[in-house]
Amino acid sequence: MKRIEALEVLAELTAQHPVVVTCAATSRELASVKDSDNHLYLLDSMGLVGSVMTGLALGRDASLPKVVGLEGDGSLLMNPNVLPTGGYLKPEMLMVLLDNEVYGSTAGLPTYSSEVNVEELAAAAGWATGRAPDQQSLRSEYARLLQVTGRPGFLHVPIEAGNAAEIPKLLIDPVRITHRFSRWLASADKPSGSRETVAE
Amino acid sequence: MVTRPLEFFGESGKERLQVSISYAASVAEAFWASDVARVVYIPSVTVAPVIEELVRRDGGADGVSPRVTPLSREEEAVGVAGAAALCGKLGGIVMQDNGFGNALTALTTWTLSYHLPLLIFANTRGSLGEYNSMIHSISTAVPRLLEATGIHYLELDRRSGPEDWGAVVREAANHAQMTFRPVVVLGSFWNTDGRLA
Repeated sequence: MKRIEALEVLAELTAQHPVVVTCAATSRELASVKDSDNHLYLLDSMGLVGSVMTGLALGRDASLPKVVGLEGDGSLLMNPNVLPTGGYLKPEMLMVLLDNEVYGSTAGLPTYSSEVNVEELAAAAGWATGRAPDQQSLRSEYARLLQVTGRPGFLHVPIEAGNAAEIPKLLIDPVRITHRFSRWLASADKPSGSRETVAE
Repeated sequence: MVTRPLEFFGESGKERLQVSISYAASVAEAFWASDVARVVYIPSVTVAPVIEELVRRDGGADGVSPRVTPLSREEEAVGVAGAAALCGKLGGIVMQDNGFGNALTALTTWTLSYHLPLLIFANTRGSLGEYNSMIHSISTAVPRLLEATGIHYLELDRRSGPEDWGAVVREAANHAQMTFRPVVVLGSFWNTDGRLA
């Protein structure tokens, strides 16, 4: 499965959830599939997806949809602290790890994930884990882990190395992302039909 | 509650005051008075009294309370606490100043760039009263690092009393929210009633 094929499924599955997205190719490809106010693109804060997810999960109104993070293996391994922190604090959230075993936006240099099982790392830290190597299992495992309570969920999604061609850079002023995402979050407890996209 | 006399130096010269609150308690009181939604911290022996006061005033014990959470690294603290602003809340961090080396990328690319208010109180290890020769290498440079990256900071030391420390922390929280940016308060506990490493 290519990253963009996984993102096509995830864009649909996460439509009603606050979504924290790792930087570079993942943010660009998701935005090319579907750009939405519930997407919090971390344009340059590599390694921070799990931390921001945790802060949102702890700070959100309990009635709001579960926080979802779209993380890469290189980014997670840059700040693996988020795994024991999640096991300790037990925030209600689901991290989807798109694992291509390389730094996809950095010349395809290798990460550790070809040798280190990141799913087992998450499980050892207390996360509920699952694995989804194709679009069908991505849907079913996502649905299963979304129902987990009392600890965070971790969905390991192996993907092919390489980035989708001709995807434009995401040149957005970060403060616009803050504005539209926080507005969306504030209205997210309303029935879905009444939600508004924030005009920029 | 600390009631022993403290010496500090004001504009009028050397003064001797009887204070009714410790420096650490005054900082903790200011955090909660500023409606900080959650405080995350990275441990330090010098800043531990602040953490203990935060926890005690929040009904917790042993370093944990409903609104006080330990973390293991400063950049993670910036990610977690900065996200509170997206929920319309103010996050707080208590740490030691040598951790700004770890935190700087997160502070600049996340809270500063995304205009997220955040209150940080950090004890200092780069000047008077510091025994550790290595820690000076990062801590002495922290004010210049913050200045170079456009992160607003305020400095406190023995020359003002606990009430002033509390007032500065409260106004720093207000300033963070007015400017939509992180604000750092650097506190030197040397020659106060605080605990040094």
